[in-house]
Amino acid sequence: MISEVVMATSGDNAPLWILAAGPAGAVATYWALYRYYRNTDKSHAYERDTLIQAQPVQGSEEKVDHISKTRDSDIDGDNSSKHRVRVERLG
Amino acid sequence: MTQDATPPREPSSSREPGSSPFDGPPLSLDEELAAARAEPEPGPDIDTINESLADGLNRCPKCGSTDVRLRGSTGNLVCLFCRHEWHEARVEEEFGLGVGIDDLQGTVVAGGADEIAADAEDVVTLTCGGCGADVVVDTAHALNARCHWCRHTLNINERTPNGAVPDAVLPFKLTHGEAVERIREFASKRRLFAHPRFKKEFVPENVLGVYLPYLVIDARAEASYAGRGEVQTRRWTEKHGDTSTTYYAADVYRVDREVAFTVDDLTIEGAADRARFDSSTTNNIVNTVLPFDTKNAVKWNSSYLVGFTSEKRDLDVDDLHPVLEDQLLSIGRAQVHDSLEMFDRGVRWEQERIDVGGSRWVSMYLPVWLYSYYQENTKMLHYIAVNARTGETMGSVPVSQPRLIAAALTVGTFLEGIAGAILVGTA
Ligand SMILES: [Zn+2]
Ligand SMILES: [Zn+2]
Repeated sequence: MISEVVMATSGDNAPLWILAAGPAGAVATYWALYRYYRNTDKSHAYERDTLIQAQPVQGSEEKVDHISKTRDSDIDGDNSSKHRVRVERLG
Repeated sequence: MTQDATPPREPSSSREPGSSPFDGPPLSLDEELAAARAEPEPGPDIDTINESLADGLNRCPKCGSTDVRLRGSTGNLVCLFCRHEWHEARVEEEFGLGVGIDDLQGTVVAGGADEIAADAEDVVTLTCGGCGADVVVDTAHALNARCHWCRHTLNINERTPNGAVPDAVLPFKLTHGEAVERIREFASKRRLFAHPRFKKEFVPENVLGVYLPYLVIDARAEASYAGRGEVQTRRWTEKHGDTSTTYYAADVYRVDREVAFTVDDLTIEGAADRARFDSSTTNNIVNTVLPFDTKNAVKWNSSYLVGFTSEKRDLDVDDLHPVLEDQLLSIGRAQVHDSLEMFDRGVRWEQERIDVGGSRWVSMYLPVWLYSYYQENTKMLHYIAVNARTGETMGSVPVSQPRLIAAALTVGTFLEGIAGAILVGTA
């Protein structure tokens, strides 16, 4: 946290937003400690800790569009790592 | 990169007969009619009843004494009369679990995972007057018991009229002393901001051994997913006076993935009270100490319960099918994850589908050491749970909000001081 603040302000003029470091650090500290005590975010990782035998993944991809200019550095609503977030069910 | 000539797949309907491992050869009309007329087969698919217990007594196979209990250090049953030690057959081999998952068809249910009915003479369910939990007690060995959640002493008058006898039980391995050590260690790392009352009342020796009901499932499934993926084609920076902005160009793809897989011994909570994972409970704690070495589970024999309590299973296979499908969908998503590398801007799944080709369900009691603490001011039950096979420990310790806030403010003030100093120094 501190090193990030220092890095971000290595230019000549420090931007005013670094004053957010105090409140942000307080909130982050609160949640880190709370989670360490209460462990509300923990669960059994059955995606990994179960005996799973998978056949090779099948699939295809087809180019359907092109974005010529955007300020977004990634796709909207990326859920490729959120395995437990359900989407529309077919069948 | 694009596999042309691959038309967008209709889910399942366009599938050629026999192209999927889940569609058997087509039946002839006669066969289909015969199948439709057939009576449902009675009874469970896997008969797990322990014949040696037919007279209702658990006898030592050597001397016939009924004074039998679990010896924690070995996981064996021991006869207190002649010291003979033995264990029931492992269900894994006895019932051929874990094998043939590739050939599972439909829903196969073992005897103890069948719908819950009143069939146990000695094993009764008591409803705790303190917290309402349903606690299973083997009255052949213990006529009084304590609720493992709130430590209220249970009374036989609180009996509810059904019990559920599981197919298998995984005996306790960690001793009481070992569990106390794990719990003490877990809590002592969390003293500084713990609620003062918890610290004062913390007596890890009060830990109770409890068998919790689970359904252990082998399944065969095919999962498919559809969504959008983006690949970055260009990245550049434009200057606007003093500031500059980074822009991106990207190709957008329609992405399909599918994977067929089997799972062996997926373990799901069989008691509704523990299966609910909303924020008003601490049920995730008990869930987190999974998995167990369920391959070592043995045939049900209530002697394994002596000295422990257990909880009634109140969820049937039908109740848990949606949970199974949900977990299989997550497992499939994890399996296809590595095939998405080319999409460096990420993938957004929009649709998914699961076909469960077959599943096999076995009801099992799994051993947990539980230290529970009821926090009066927030009306929340906190636990520290120890997996009594692997020793994995997880818990919820009530926090002192004033201390936590004080610590957060201290850190915040410190950072703000540095930020202020930098601003002053560079102004
Ligand atoms: Zn004996
Ligand atoms: Zn209770």
